[in-house]
Amino acid sequence: MTDALVLTDVRKTYGQREAVHGVSLTVHEGEVFGLIGHNGAGKTTLLRMISTILTITSGKIEVYGRDVAKEGDEVRKLISYLPEDAGAYKDLTGRKYLSFIAELFVSGKEKDEMVQKGVELADLGDKIDFRIDTYSKGMMRRLLIARAIMTSPKLAIMDEVTSGLDVINAYEIREVIRNIAKSGVTVIMSSHNMFEVDMLCDRVGMVDQGNLIDVGTPEELKKKYGKETLEEVFVTAVKGA
Amino acid sequence: MSHLTTIVKKEVRELLTPGSVISVLVMVMLFAALGGLIGDEVSKSTVMPVIGIANYEDQTIETEDGEWDAYEFLKDFYIKSGDKRITPENVDQFVLKMDKDDILEQMENTGASVALVLSDDFKKNIEESLKYSDPDNKTYLKGEILQYYVYQPSGMIGGTVSSAVTSAIVSNMNNNLSKFITGEEESKYVDFLKYPIKSTETYTYVKGELRSDVTPAEISEAMSGQTMFIPMIIMIIIMMVGSIVISSMGSEKENKTLETLLTLPISRTVIVTGKIIAAALVGLIFGMAYMFGMAFYISSVTFMAVGDSGLDLDSLGLALGLTDYALIAVSMFLSIACALGICMILGAFAKNYKSAQTMTMPLSILAILPMFITMFSGWYSSNALIQTVLFIIPFSHPMMATEALMNGDLTLVLAGIAYMAVFALASIFITVKLYKSDILVTGLSQNKYVEMLKGTGRRNRTGGQ
Repeated sequence: MTDALVLTDVRKTYGQREAVHGVSLTVHEGEVFGLIGHNGAGKTTLLRMISTILTITSGKIEVYGRDVAKEGDEVRKLISYLPEDAGAYKDLTGRKYLSFIAELFVSGKEKDEMVQKGVELADLGDKIDFRIDTYSKGMMRRLLIARAIMTSPKLAIMDEVTSGLDVINAYEIREVIRNIAKSGVTVIMSSHNMFEVDMLCDRVGMVDQGNLIDVGTPEELKKKYGKETLEEVFVTAVKGA
Repeated sequence: MSHLTTIVKKEVRELLTPGSVISVLVMVMLFAALGGLIGDEVSKSTVMPVIGIANYEDQTIETEDGEWDAYEFLKDFYIKSGDKRITPENVDQFVLKMDKDDILEQMENTGASVALVLSDDFKKNIEESLKYSDPDNKTYLKGEILQYYVYQPSGMIGGTVSSAVTSAIVSNMNNNLSKFITGEEESKYVDFLKYPIKSTETYTYVKGELRSDVTPAEISEAMSGQTMFIPMIIMIIIMMVGSIVISSMGSEKENKTLETLLTLPISRTVIVTGKIIAAALVGLIFGMAYMFGMAFYISSVTFMAVGDSGLDLDSLGLALGLTDYALIAVSMFLSIACALGICMILGAFAKNYKSAQTMTMPLSILAILPMFITMFSGWYSSNALIQTVLFIIPFSHPMMATEALMNGDLTLVLAGIAYMAVFALASIFITVKLYKSDILVTGLSQNKYVEMLKGTGRRNRTGGQ
């Protein structure tokens, strides 16, 4: 099995404070990997380091064998990052936004095909030609997921992807992620929603105070901690950590 | 299409919104309207006000040569005033006979804004003074005139019109009466007694050559169009592009699009360059629009202030050649590049659109300061300290370039260009470094140097980590 993402003793320091303490982790190709943890645990910092947005204080992150610290430009061709509460350029229409992103990946006919794929993934009907500042939060998130997926990334990085969405929108977004995974894209996502992680993720990593305290499939973790839900597993693991 | 073009297109599309275009057009129209308004006020100042005159009937000055009448003088003065509305046939509509009692009521009823009332002793005082032959008697009583005005609030310019006209009338009345009293030939002698000295020719050294009939004031006046206008335009363009770049960064953070942009397969250098090029393009478009409005406005104001000197700078060796204009253009381009570099650095620290707007303040000060210094003092009449400050601020150089080139000081211009080139490169280098650092995402609060200054870092448990 190919390793899509390998973190080796990764540390991140802000000033004199260490936010991530030597995290080591491997995510396999085609896997949906979930990071769970409370606010400030270090999930977003980890995802931002993988996405080349933040520098790595020490340790190493490799995306499909490419060193994030040394080959940032190459890594960015392989990944797609969807930050929590991400936005889009409000003066553009949904279609023009997808077109702008596509232009940075391909050109000509390929670009048109990529935009068309994005339009279909967003599934916004005629509203795809409306200005983005008229979109609801759910519509915005659908557009951004379409943006993240249409470029056919090898690794999709999603931070709190359903945060703040209503039940229907969250359900539809989870369906999209499930389909992405089926198409072979590797996904690493963070979430507060244990139910969502339990349903979507092949494996789960629990993060607390900058430490990766345990990793396993939802079933393995439930069995290990003797609990019925992932939520109970997380509470037990954190309190015992 | 290259990534750079895509980024530039995106930035330009974001910056040239209908809102921003409309606001610039409104500003241009405001400038133009303001210029028109001032022009109107200036032209109004050449229009004679309706004037009343009272108590003149029994005040006719009589000599052996004839009679002098204040009312007749006033009518003649109005006919010859240059106001095209006034003719010998209709002058009675502008110069009104009034009664000295209830003067205010008559002014209100007739619309006259000025009235002159001769004192009861006007004739007596003058005639008595003319009779004095005792050289020891120094009491020469003069004819007195009382002035009445109706104040009409009409701004800075309008308010001065009626009193200026009255002063001119009284002055001319004095000259006219003086000539009448002394006689034509004698009046020349009186004029000599009053002004025994006359300056005939003027010589001024300009760039090492002696020029005749030109004063430094006239040269400054002729050059003021370029030395005033260019600094103002540069200040506007710099403030404009600066605001655009910083706001663009603030918007990226506020709309949470920056993180996505940073993970797209384009280098940080392309992002920085794209933003700079787009801001420069849009800034130049907006700047030119402002220039158009400002040019109209300035032409009205400077015409009022200095008039048309008609001095040929070329004949004085002060006109600029093609090379000079090319140097000014290079200087302007580099100063804009410096402004953009500074703004990209400031913009990296902007948390949102609002904080970005606040960050334009230092840039505005840096643009305004040299503008005022170059407009009111200039490089050559400043002391060493001010010259140092001017040289350090990169925006000063294109503002000073015109004056320097007119004076043949190529060294100052070239030194400025070299300094700005180094400044621009350094600021762009720092910007790219910043874009590759964490500061763009985390801000200063999580910077190691800031934390060192604050003391030991404390754990932040709010927000995603």
